[in-house]
Amino acid sequence: MSDLQQLYTAVLDGNARASKAIVEQALAEGADPQVLVTQYMIPAMDEVGRRFESNEYFVPELLISARAMKTALQIITPLLTAKGAQPIARVAIGTVKGDLHDIGKNLVSAMLEGGGFQVLDCGVDVAAEKFIEAIKTKQANVVALSALLTTTMPMMKTTIEAFKTAGVRGQIKVIIGGAPVTQKYAEEIGADGYADNASSAVTLARSLVSK
Amino acid sequence: MKARHECQPIRHTLPPHEILGREGLERLHKASSRILSELGVEFQDEEALEILRAHGARVENGIARFEPRLVEEWVARAPRQFVQRARNPRHDVTLGGGQTIFAPVYGPPFVLDLEGRRRSSTLEDFQNFVRLASRTPVIHHTGGAIVEPTDLPVETRHLDMLLNLIRLSDKPFMGSVTSPGHAADSVAMAEILFGKDGIRERPALLALINANSPRRFDGRMLGALKVYARARQAVVITPFLLQGAMSPVTLAGALAQQNAEVLAGIVLTQMIEPGAPAVYGSFLTTIDFRSGQPIFGSPESQVGTLASAQLARHHGLPFRGGGAFTSSKLPDAQAAAESVMSLLPALTSHASFVLHAAGWLENGLVASYEKFALDCEILEAMHHWSRGLDLCDDALAMDSITEVPPGGQHLETEHTLRHFRKGFRGTGLFDYASFESWSKEGGLDARARAGSRIRELLRDDQPPPLDRATEKELASFVTRRKESPG
Repeated sequence: MSDLQQLYTAVLDGNARASKAIVEQALAEGADPQVLVTQYMIPAMDEVGRRFESNEYFVPELLISARAMKTALQIITPLLTAKGAQPIARVAIGTVKGDLHDIGKNLVSAMLEGGGFQVLDCGVDVAAEKFIEAIKTKQANVVALSALLTTTMPMMKTTIEAFKTAGVRGQIKVIIGGAPVTQKYAEEIGADGYADNASSAVTLARSLVSK
Repeated sequence: MKARHECQPIRHTLPPHEILGREGLERLHKASSRILSELGVEFQDEEALEILRAHGARVENGIARFEPRLVEEWVARAPRQFVQRARNPRHDVTLGGGQTIFAPVYGPPFVLDLEGRRRSSTLEDFQNFVRLASRTPVIHHTGGAIVEPTDLPVETRHLDMLLNLIRLSDKPFMGSVTSPGHAADSVAMAEILFGKDGIRERPALLALINANSPRRFDGRMLGALKVYARARQAVVITPFLLQGAMSPVTLAGALAQQNAEVLAGIVLTQMIEPGAPAVYGSFLTTIDFRSGQPIFGSPESQVGTLASAQLARHHGLPFRGGGAFTSSKLPDAQAAAESVMSLLPALTSHASFVLHAAGWLENGLVASYEKFALDCEILEAMHHWSRGLDLCDDALAMDSITEVPPGGQHLETEHTLRHFRKGFRGTGLFDYASFESWSKEGGLDARARAGSRIRELLRDDQPPPLDRATEKELASFVTRRKESPG
C-alpha cells in the first residue's frame, strides 16, 4: 500500500503531478476514494488555508495547492458520483453583468474547487438569467457574485432581486466579494455572506452550506 | 517573529544623483579654496596648530590658512574607502566604494517611550536601542550615543555606553568624543577587543568630530581627533551648519564653507597620521527665522545632501550625510514625510554612512522607539529600491508572457512561483491587508503597530555571544577607570 501521507504532502506542496500519481496508484491498490479525500486531501487544503491566514503561504502557493487538489479530484469525483456521493455543494460563480475583471473570481473558483466544491464557472459579464439557469438545470445551491467596480456593484443587488422574481432565492445561498464590496453592503442587498479573500470565501461557503 | 536574517549594506547599482555640473562644482570649489587660503580656519589647540605649521600651513593668531596645493596633497592621502571591523566579521562594513551603511540616531537626551511619555533617557533606554540596532537587519552599524544615559554620571558614562555597545551587539560601533580621555578609553577598549595591531590594520572605531562652525574646531574635538587619528581610527569630520546662523543663509555659501571646514579637518588628520581613515561629513540644515529653532527635514537640507555627497566624491572621500530627519514631536505623518524626504537624497547620492537613519524625532532631541521601527521599514524599502532594474532574460520573462493567454493570469506560472518571494513585502509593519482583515486585527495605525513590533523585538533577550575572557577584561578595564577616572 502506498504511503498516503505523501498525498497530503503533494497537495500541501502544490505538486499536481505527484497528487495525480499517488491517487492513481492508491486507487489501483484498492484504496477508498472517500478516505483519500476526507483524510488526506481536505486536511492538506485546511493546512494550506491556515498557512495562508498566517502569512506563511502567499497567493501563488494557494493556487498551486488548489491545482494539485483539483487534479486529484478529477480522478476521484467520478468514482464518488457513481457511488451516489454528492459534492459539498455546487457553486455557480461569475462576475456580474457589466464587470469583466475576473482574476479575483478565478482565485475564488480555484480555492473552492480545492476545497471540495463543484464549481460551475459562468465566466464574466454574467446576466442573472445565466445564474438562474445554472440553479435550475445544474442544481447550483450556492451563487458567488464578483464585482470590482463601484459602477457594477449595484448589479449584485439586481441579480439577487432577479433570483427572487424567478423564485429560486430560497434554494440557494448567495455570497459576494470584490474590492469595493463590504460586509455591510452584503447585508444591505440581502446576500448571505461576504468574504474579503479567496481562502475565507471557502470557509464562508462551507459554513453556509452546513447550516 | 521572523528569524534574524542577514542584511548587507546597500551596494549601489544605479548611478548617483548629481545636481552640480562641472561649472557649479568649480564655483563651489573656488569659493572653498578662497576660504581656506585667504580667511583660514581657527584651531583651538596649540599642538594642532604646531602640526599644521610644521607641514606648511600659514598659522597666525590661532588661524591656519591653506594653499590649494597643500590641501590637495594631504586630502589625497586619505583612503577612498576603508573597512570598519565589527566583532562579528560578517558585520564588517565598507565606508566608501559605492556602499551605504545605516546607523541609528545619535545623541538625544530624551526618549519618547512606548507609553507615549517624553522623558530623560536612561541606561535602560540606551541598552534597549543597542539591542534594537543589533536585531534589526537593515541597521548595519550600532552607532554610538543612540541616547544619552542621563541617569549615569557624565565623567564615566562613556565607559558604560562602550561596554554595552560591545556586549549587546556584534555590529560595528562608534567611539566617544566627549573628551580626549574618553576617546583614549574608547581606543583602549577597542584594543582589548581586537588587539593593538588589529585596530591599526582596520579601524574598529568611527568618531564624530564636529567643526564648531563657522570656521572653528574647538579644543575638545581636536583633542579627540588627535587620539583617533594617531590610533588610525576613523574620524567623520562634520561641520554642524544651521544656514543663516552658523553659515550663510544661502545653500551655495553654506556648501562652500562646509567644504572648507571638512577639508581643513581632514588635512590635519592626514598630517597627524597619513592614510588614517577619514570621512567627509555633512550636517547641514536651516533654522526657523520666526523662532530661531533649527528645522530638520527641510527641502534645502535635502538638496544640500545631494551637493555635499558630490563634493565628497570629487575629493575621493567617503561621505556621511542624510538621516531620518524631522522636526515633528510625534511619530506622525510629518515625521514620516520628512524622514523619507531626508533619507532619499542620502540613498540616491550614495552616502557611505547615514547616521540618524532610525529613531530620530524632534530635531534630534528625542529618540522614539516607535519611529525607530517605522524608519526601519523605509530603510527596508530602500534596500529594494537601490537594486535598480534587472534586465536579464529571466527577468524579461518571455516564457511566462508566452505561457499566459490574453486575459489570463500570471499568478500561478512557474516563473511567478520562482520569483514572487523576492519582491518587496516590507517587514510586516506597513499594512497591506484588506479593510476587514485590518479591522479584525484591531484597526491599528502605523504607530501602534510599530509599538508592538518594538515590544516583540525587545522580548528576545539573547545578546550575540562574546568571548568570556574578553568580556571580563573589558569589565575590569571599566571598573578600573571608574575608580580612577583620567
